[in-house]
Parts: sequence; structure tokens; C-alpha cells
Amino acid sequence: MQGYIYPNEFELQWGLLIVLYPYVTGLVAGAFILASLERVFNVKEVQPTYRLALLTALAFLLVAPLPLLGHLGHPERSYEIFLTPNRQSAMAMFGFVYAWYLAVVLLLEVWFEWRRDMVLWAQQSTGVRHWVYTALTLGATDLSERSLRFDDKAGRWITIIGIPSAFLLHGYVGFIFGSVKANPWWSSVLMPVVFLFSAIVSGIALVLILYIITSLIRSRPVDMPCVDKLATFLFYAMIVDVSLEALDFIHRLYESEESIEILAQMVESRLFISLIVLQLVLGTLVPLVLLGFFSPALRTSGRSRGADELRRLVYLVVAILVEIGIFSIRWNVVVGGQLFSKSLRGLTVYKVELLGQEGLAITLALLALPLFILWGLVKLIPPWSEARPSDAAAH
Amino acid sequence: MKIPDQVPRLAVVFVVAVLALVAARSILVPATFGKYGHYRAAAVDSIAARQVRFAGRQECEDCHDDIGAVRAGGNHRTLSCEVCHGPAETHVEAPFDVLPEPPDQQRRLCPLCHQYNPSRPTGFPQIDPVVHNPLKPCISCHNPHAPVPPSVPGECSACHGSIARQKSLSHHANLPCVTCHSVPQQHKLTPRTVRATKPTERLFCAQCHATRTPKLEGAPQIDLQAHYPRDLCWQCHYPHYPET
Repeated sequence: MQGYIYPNEFELQWGLLIVLYPYVTGLVAGAFILASLERVFNVKEVQPTYRLALLTALAFLLVAPLPLLGHLGHPERSYEIFLTPNRQSAMAMFGFVYAWYLAVVLLLEVWFEWRRDMVLWAQQSTGVRHWVYTALTLGATDLSERSLRFDDKAGRWITIIGIPSAFLLHGYVGFIFGSVKANPWWSSVLMPVVFLFSAIVSGIALVLILYIITSLIRSRPVDMPCVDKLATFLFYAMIVDVSLEALDFIHRLYESEESIEILAQMVESRLFISLIVLQLVLGTLVPLVLLGFFSPALRTSGRSRGADELRRLVYLVVAILVEIGIFSIRWNVVVGGQLFSKSLRGLTVYKVELLGQEGLAITLALLALPLFILWGLVKLIPPWSEARPSDAAAH
Repeated sequence: MKIPDQVPRLAVVFVVAVLALVAARSILVPATFGKYGHYRAAAVDSIAARQVRFAGRQECEDCHDDIGAVRAGGNHRTLSCEVCHGPAETHVEAPFDVLPEPPDQQRRLCPLCHQYNPSRPTGFPQIDPVVHNPLKPCISCHNPHAPVPPSVPGECSACHGSIARQKSLSHHANLPCVTCHSVPQQHKLTPRTVRATKPTERLFCAQCHATRTPKLEGAPQIDLQAHYPRDLCWQCHYPHYPET
């Protein structure tokens, strides 16, 4: 503690789990928007990651509310938000955004995308697997050309609906912080937009990491045009994200409200590592320079530089750095907003506990959980092109 | 045009899900929910029907008026008897059959309010139970009905610990508190009734910080006429940590 703080500011109310929550929802929104690149915007190069991106979004979406439940406690009461929603509360309404996104967007899109494969797997397998796949198809086993064309069309329309839904999902998280008007670190109309673009950045980086690592595990060659394209989009998304954050920063400096001095003190002391070192230098500048040099983003010829192995390694390192940087952004927003006193005359400290309901151990477990869910989903409905059953086997 | 097979099957799933939600609402939402506001109206009646456990201070003092008089003049005058002695309605109903809980002998109760916590107000008596006479029950030195420190603290930091710690890190570290505050003896006995004084005008700080005074080693000097003449010094500078 330093300077003067009000009595109720000594302890932070929102800790590590609330840092994790926008991070995870951001990954969901980002992975889904990446998937939509192939589906709606016809970027054919990223096709190898389309299905993986969908499953990633689904796995992380299933985990997204858990940090909130862990933070609030009493998860057994959580269903009440759906039964007796308070329509004045943005947080209560978010339950419906979440349900819409899960049930209407992601599950439906996954169902339409995998229906043909599930029908064929059901036909080719026996025992429990047969019944599981048959149940998953809901009995819709028609594989005629007309039916498959309908699947494709429906998937495309759902993605089109899904893009604003993904924007709403993560925009909401920024909205919650941006609308706290008493907090000068949070209160900004740019907050939902900044959250959204950082979400896109983190989603692309996550799928890039998962694609490269799963290719390694499966001993399959990495599709270099695909990762080059991913790296290019990562570069572009980061440029927009950095520009928006710079705009927000410059706007704060220009406005120079009475809070600017304590915020500057906070950035120089409490947030130096997480904001300057992790978010700005390691999470933004280093990846931008590396991507600018190695990816085809800045090359008029459209070709990339360096050997394939080197590029893969660089992309992997960049994506990991970006993930650390985006996690730092969430940390800086959530924790930073509570470190300075509303008297604007003092700073408090936040120490992460190791165990406990909102500790580091739970956070790491919640970060690992979506990867386990993803592993299960990949086992159940493999996203790889070589795992798709051929039509010949069906007849 | 024939509707594809997928549509009716998905529609069934969604209709079942919506029906399940509607059914869950009708079963799980209490009947009186929303009658008065966003809560179960019958909760008011069920809370009102609960057995009364606390008697209230007046009931206690009807019999224990001697202790009530001591408490009313002491620093615990705003506390209710049952905060320390526990719920006593049953004792009021059968005074000789049911006795209230004995007061705390284990140093468990008092630290709930008096353990050091930086978010407690300045001047509130606070101790670190680990180093403050460990193993001794609080009531062996302090009378809980009218507590005062057993001996008046010699140092301001005994009560104003947060300020003392902060000042010790500032450029004002070497200034004794009485440089700026004059402290009547009565303040140490009844700190909230008789207050220490505070500087009230710019000229006080000017004794060290105005350019007209002989230059004081290490103290920043300002021109009193030019430097925000309409403001008081402590509107911008926090005297216990003037760097900020």
C-alpha cells in the first residue's frame, strides 16, 4: 500500500479468475471469427484450421462461465439467472447471450459441419460408438446431394449470424468494464472494441499454436500456406488492435483528466512488468517485428522469408508471446482498475494466492480444462481431413 | 418445396429445450416471486415468522442498569450487549434458568474489531494479537464495558499507525507530529471528543517552504504569492507523504 486509499479499496474484489474470464471468452470469439474467415470470407488457405477452430471455440466456450462460477461461489444457484433474469442487469442478460452463442451458433454449426461424417461413422462402426454417432445425428441420415448442400448453406448462414454473436459475446465483456463510469481506468467507450480486437488476435494465435502442435503430435506436415496466411491475419489483427489501444492511450493523455497522474504512477510501478514488459514489448512489439519480417504480410511478392522450419518455429514463438501479451492485457485491465484509489492519491497491491477458491492452482486448472475437453472432442469428432470417412465406404 | 430432414429434427430438439425451460420455470420459480420486486414475496413472511433470538439493549439494561450506566459513558457506548454476550432473548424470558454466554476469555472476540487492518479508520485502537501480550485474555487488562487503553499511549503511532508508517517513508520523516499538530492531554483519553489541532493556513507551511525564509536545507521553496495563492497547501500536497 502506498499513499492514501479508502478503507474498502485495500482488498481487491476481482482477482485472477476475473482476469481469466475475459481471456477465455476472447479466445472463443477469436477462434470463431477465424473459422468464419474460411466459411464466409472464403479464405481458402486457412481451410485446414477451420474445423479445429470450431472445436477450439466450443471447448473454450464450455469453460468460459466456470471462472465466474468459481469467483461467485454457489454454482448450484447459477441456473436461477435463466429462470428469473433481472432485465436491468447486463450481467444477467449475458447468460442469454452465452446460451444463444452456445446452442444456436456453435453447436448448430458443428452439427451441420459434421453431420455427414457422423452419419458415415455411425454406419461404419458398431456397439457404443454406433449408438453415440446415431444419437448425435438425431436420426437425420439423409446424405443426398441436396441434403448435404443444405448442411453447407445452413452452416454458412449460421456463421454469418455467428459473427455479430461473437462480437456481442466479447463486446459485452468490454462493455461491463467500459461502463463502470466511476473508474477512470475502465470507463471508456473504446473498451468493447479494444477487447474485441484483442480477442481476435488471441483466437488466431491460439489456433495457430494448436494447429502446429497437433500436426507435430500427429506427425503430419504443417500446411505452410495455411500458417503463413494465419500469421498474416495475426499481423493485420495486431496492427488494428495496437492502433486502437494507442488511440485509447493517446485519448487519455490528451484528455488528461485528474486521474492521469495516479494512472501514470500505477503504470510505472505496479503494472510495469505486466504492461510495459509483457503486454507492450514481449506481447506486441517483438511479435509484430518478427511477423513483419518473416510472414508474407508486408511483402508485395506475397512470399514469405526464411526456411519453412524456421518460420514454423517463429510463428509458434510469436503466437505464445501473443497469448502471454493478451493475458497481460486482461490482467492490466481487471487488476489495474482496482490498484489505484478512487481518491487518486494512493495505490494498493494485489498478491495472487496459490491455493484457495480464486488462486493460481484453480486458474491453471481452468486454463487446462478446455484443452482436455478439446482432446475429447477431437477423439469424438476428429477435425482432420484424413479422418473424414469417404463416401465410397458408405455404399 | 420439401423441407430437408434436418430441420424438423432440430426443431424438435429446440422445442423440447424451450419446453424444458418453461417447465423448469413453472416448477422452480417460487409462486410469489416478483409480487413486490425482484425477490420472493413470501420470504418477508417466513423471515418475520422466525423466532426472535436477540432481546435488545433496553431489555438488558432494565435489569443490569449499573453496567448499562458504565457502558453508556465509555468507548463501547454504541455497542449492543449481545454483540459480546450473544443472543439473550431466552435469558430475558427465563432469567434464572438460562444464562447468557460468558464473555470471551480466549482473545477470539475482541480482535474481530481491534486486530490491525489498514482499512480501519485512523485512530481506531488496533493491535497485532500475535505480539500484543500474547496468551493474556483481553479483559484481564481492559474493562470491556468501558475500555480505555490501560496506560495512555506515549506515541501517536499507537493509534495512528497507518499515518506513522507513511510519514516514516516521506521527507517529513524526521519531523515529530507535534511540529504541525498540538495535542491536548485530553485527546489521549477521549480521542474522539477532544481532537488534536491541524494547521489552518498557508503561512504555517511557509515557515519552512517559502522563499522569504532563510533557505532550509533540503526543503523545497516556493514563492507564496505566485504559487497557487488561492489554494491551501494540503489541497495538493499530502503532508504525511508530501512527495505525492
